[in-house]
Amino acid sequence: MTYWPFWLCALALSGVALLHWLLIGRMFAVSGRFTALTDAIRNWKRSADSHSELSQAEMLEALRAATIAEFGLTEEQAAQMDAELRAQAQPAPQRPPTSKQSLPVHVLFFVAIALGAALSARMAQGHADRTLFFATFGHSPILLGSILFGGGLLVGFGTRMAGGCTSGHGLCGVSRFQPGSMLATAAFFGAGIVTSLLLGALR
Amino acid sequence: MKDSIGTLALGLLFGFCLHRIGFGSWDEVHKMFTFASLRLTLGFGLAVVILAIGFSIIAKLQHPKWAPRPIHKGTLAGGLLFGVGWAVCGACPSIALVQLGDGQWLALWTLLGIVAGNALYAPIHARFFQFDSGTCSPD
Repeated sequence: MTYWPFWLCALALSGVALLHWLLIGRMFAVSGRFTALTDAIRNWKRSADSHSELSQAEMLEALRAATIAEFGLTEEQAAQMDAELRAQAQPAPQRPPTSKQSLPVHVLFFVAIALGAALSARMAQGHADRTLFFATFGHSPILLGSILFGGGLLVGFGTRMAGGCTSGHGLCGVSRFQPGSMLATAAFFGAGIVTSLLLGALR
Repeated sequence: MKDSIGTLALGLLFGFCLHRIGFGSWDEVHKMFTFASLRLTLGFGLAVVILAIGFSIIAKLQHPKWAPRPIHKGTLAGGLLFGVGWAVCGACPSIALVQLGDGQWLALWTLLGIVAGNALYAPIHARFFQFDSGTCSPD
């Protein structure tokens, strides 16, 4: 298919990043959404694992009864213990209101990206070119799947380690002259250049 | 609700643009990295210039609290790993979704890899690394 000229690419990329800030009030950062996604899945799994049949009130009541039975406390001593515990009790910590977007919103963003691309492919009646891709790696589905999964692992691991990807570091970080973003962007462009030159030489 | 609609609209726009830009094409990304075509490099560079102007205007008008992005121990290593991965599978994180929308079903493997790699980082970081990688926390 035919792609946009460079100036239109620039307008589109910068426009999306600026609109993201102006409409949603957050910096544009896609890998952060993946981190939020996997963290949400892990926390959900953890809370499901630690689910208890007993409610906290029932647990406290059982503990109180067991303490009384263990030490053979009289009614008066038990009342005194209750009073002491009430005096020591601290108010439940107040959680600060969270302003982070929730899991469904991240998923919505991912689905919308795929739909937007599908819309573009339908309107252009063309698909992204992959001639060089197949010329480089061949046509074996097992080999291609392994290569893409391996590459994806590096992308997921690396972006989280560096604290950002092409959008958060490359576009929004470099344009605000953030040192971490400039180093990360230089690193991933540099590594991309070396790797691609090697892949091209092997072809 | 406003958040969701804005996110949906931006996702659609972003996916459409990325597809037209050609970032969803392994060939175009490969040509960018091998300097066979300067179209994407120039496009990205010019986008950064426009954003530098845009963000400096926003900074003057709104005084937003943007989290700084300092260099930490994971910056260089993480960036290098990401660069290798991007050149191999032709996808930075959102591109796997663009490729799926384009009908490249093989990109399911890429997406699976990205999610797995991201999830894998958390326990490895907790076990072996002692620095704050501050992954793109929303500002």
